[in-house]
Amino acid sequence: MPYLIVHEEGCIGCHTCEMVCSLSHEGVINPDLSRIHVLGYKGEKFPVMCLQCEDAPCELVCPMEAIHMQNGVRMVDDEKCIRCKMCTLVCPVGGVLYDYINNKMIRCDLCGGDPQCAKYCPMNVIEVVQDEKVPEARKRGVRVLYGEAD
Amino acid sequence: MAMFGYTGRILFVDLSSKTVKTEPTGKYAGDFLGGRGIATRILHEDPDALIFMTGPLTSFVPSGSRMDVVAVSPVTGLIGGSSTGGEFPSALKFAGYDGVVVTGKAEKPVYLRIENEEVSIESADGIWGLSAFETIDVLTRGHPDLKVACIGRAGENGVKFAGISFSHRNLASRGGLGAVMGAKKLKAILVHGTRGASPYNPLELMSVFEEIQESITNSGEFLRFKNWHVDFVPVILQLRMPYFGDYEREWEKAEEAAMKAKKFFEEHTVGRASCFSCPLRCWGIVSYRGETLPINLCQGTFPAVTFTLKVEDPELAWRIYRKCQSEGLDMMATVAVVAYASRLGKVRLGSEEILDFIERIVKREGEGDVFAEGVKKASEHFGVPAVYVKGGMESWSSDVRPFVGSALISAVADSGGVNRALYGFPEFYYYVKKEQAEKMARMFVGDVEAAYPWSYSESKVRFAVLWENLHIIADSLGVCVIALLTTPLKLWAKAFKAVTGEGITEDEFMRTAERIRTLERLFNLRHGDGRDDLSPRLFKGEVKLDREKLEGMKRLYYSLRGWDENGVPTRETLEKLGLGDLA
Repeated sequence: MPYLIVHEEGCIGCHTCEMVCSLSHEGVINPDLSRIHVLGYKGEKFPVMCLQCEDAPCELVCPMEAIHMQNGVRMVDDEKCIRCKMCTLVCPVGGVLYDYINNKMIRCDLCGGDPQCAKYCPMNVIEVVQDEKVPEARKRGVRVLYGEAD
Repeated sequence: MAMFGYTGRILFVDLSSKTVKTEPTGKYAGDFLGGRGIATRILHEDPDALIFMTGPLTSFVPSGSRMDVVAVSPVTGLIGGSSTGGEFPSALKFAGYDGVVVTGKAEKPVYLRIENEEVSIESADGIWGLSAFETIDVLTRGHPDLKVACIGRAGENGVKFAGISFSHRNLASRGGLGAVMGAKKLKAILVHGTRGASPYNPLELMSVFEEIQESITNSGEFLRFKNWHVDFVPVILQLRMPYFGDYEREWEKAEEAAMKAKKFFEEHTVGRASCFSCPLRCWGIVSYRGETLPINLCQGTFPAVTFTLKVEDPELAWRIYRKCQSEGLDMMATVAVVAYASRLGKVRLGSEEILDFIERIVKREGEGDVFAEGVKKASEHFGVPAVYVKGGMESWSSDVRPFVGSALISAVADSGGVNRALYGFPEFYYYVKKEQAEKMARMFVGDVEAAYPWSYSESKVRFAVLWENLHIIADSLGVCVIALLTTPLKLWAKAFKAVTGEGITEDEFMRTAERIRTLERLFNLRHGDGRDDLSPRLFKGEVKLDREKLEGMKRLYYSLRGWDENGVPTRETLEKLGLGDLA
């Protein structure tokens, strides 16, 4: 499974990622049902989504052990999940969301390996990085984020 | 009946009786598409209404971020139409409404709150008297999901060229719609929508979304916008568009001022931004004196301050820009009024005095009260002729005298001015990209003459009619016209099919535009002084328009629209367009 890295300095806040995410997953356009979210207010904006953490707080906090890594993507077992929403509270990036229309927890599933947000982003701000390259690329992403690298 | 693309409901709010109801969109959608078309149709039913209307493609396609705002303009007594983007239009749709129609008048200042099914009219006690920026800040504090449409103090005080602000950047600026909202004592509309919008065919939409996005991002427009906000001020000078002061053709410091403005934006730009769903990123985010604000140069706001007000210092120009934005003033009209006042010796151009002068207009203090009525009324008061276009509206920031196509549209337009009909019209960029302009003219009307700014040719008229139709289609679909023009109509038709489930051809698009255009004309003939004229000053002086030739163009324009020699739609045209019931 690939990972997603956001080069937030290029984001223009057009919300296209939210549109295609909800469209491809739910068949509607609704930013509230999107697995990726554009944050920011007056000034600059950038998208955040589940980062597929190594020691994931969502997985650790779940009282029903409903969250597990499957093929490189963290999934919620709807049968086990009791909708306590603890996972939404502990996630540091707000990567888990509650779909109040269908009463279930939703999160980025990397579109089965072909992330639509990355495909449709007009500014190519969302980069798909293949699994084996992740540790380095991600570290570099973090360094760029905090201005320690060029 | 369930509708796709449209939410199927229009919200009607009557402020006098404090009642709220919804009406089905379906009864208008077939003939009038959406946005500008439906809004104009509703205005026929109730000329007191202030109408905010999205289109079927709003929030579905790239650049589908638009909404049309329509009411009777207090400046002209004719239709005041203005379009806006940003995030408010899609939020309205996500709340479950295709549009909002506000009628009546509140006793005390109120604001309207729309959260999906919950609609309430609230007291505006704490926010009446605030500027537009302050109002947005107060209403969205802690709730960044809320989208706001509001007026500043200019709208409250009935300044005739006040617009309606949508966030810190988008403004439905032209026609004095803010004064209409102020007269209704409606300070703001707050929207929060979480219902989303359903397309007819999601898979097909995914595919046509990609096609349209590719078409936009491969266009010259997308490339040009890369550094647009930095380059724009010098470019607009090369286009020979601006006028200086009170409609002068020359200003010896123009070049220098343009380069200073360019440098200012190079230094202070910290990022770029777009409206909802749009890849074009035409907003520059500027950080100046500890404040970060978005600015869009493509509508010519900053250049208008620089050139018309002869402001050499870009920092002062920025403060004037910010002043107008924060008060919710139409920049085009404001600069025209200030420039006219300078001719009367009321204010010195290029100086700090401009800021105080604008403040007096906003508050209607002293002579500010006269200037707040607009340039035509002010010229009647002072007895010194001014420049204005149809109905007495201030002209756009471009000088119409050297651009004959824009002069024609300025004289005959019924819903807003040149900016509602001729964005990116080839005659505007002729001096910079001659070949491209000629190519477009040849392609669309088979005659290079139509690309020449000075040409009064019949091909120019045909070109203008076509271009105006494209604008009407964009404004009615809820798509930004800049994006619409980059992409073949065929693709928009394909998107329309994927979103609504209804097939439409390019010809049907055009016919709908004709219908809406004639509908606008009918309204103005019925409700206002619809004479198609420009101020006499434009036909005098060294650079002037040829009245005889312009009259000839007008007659041709009328006949192409199926109107008689006086500009009145014939019965035959009305029948043909399915407007027989309005005859």
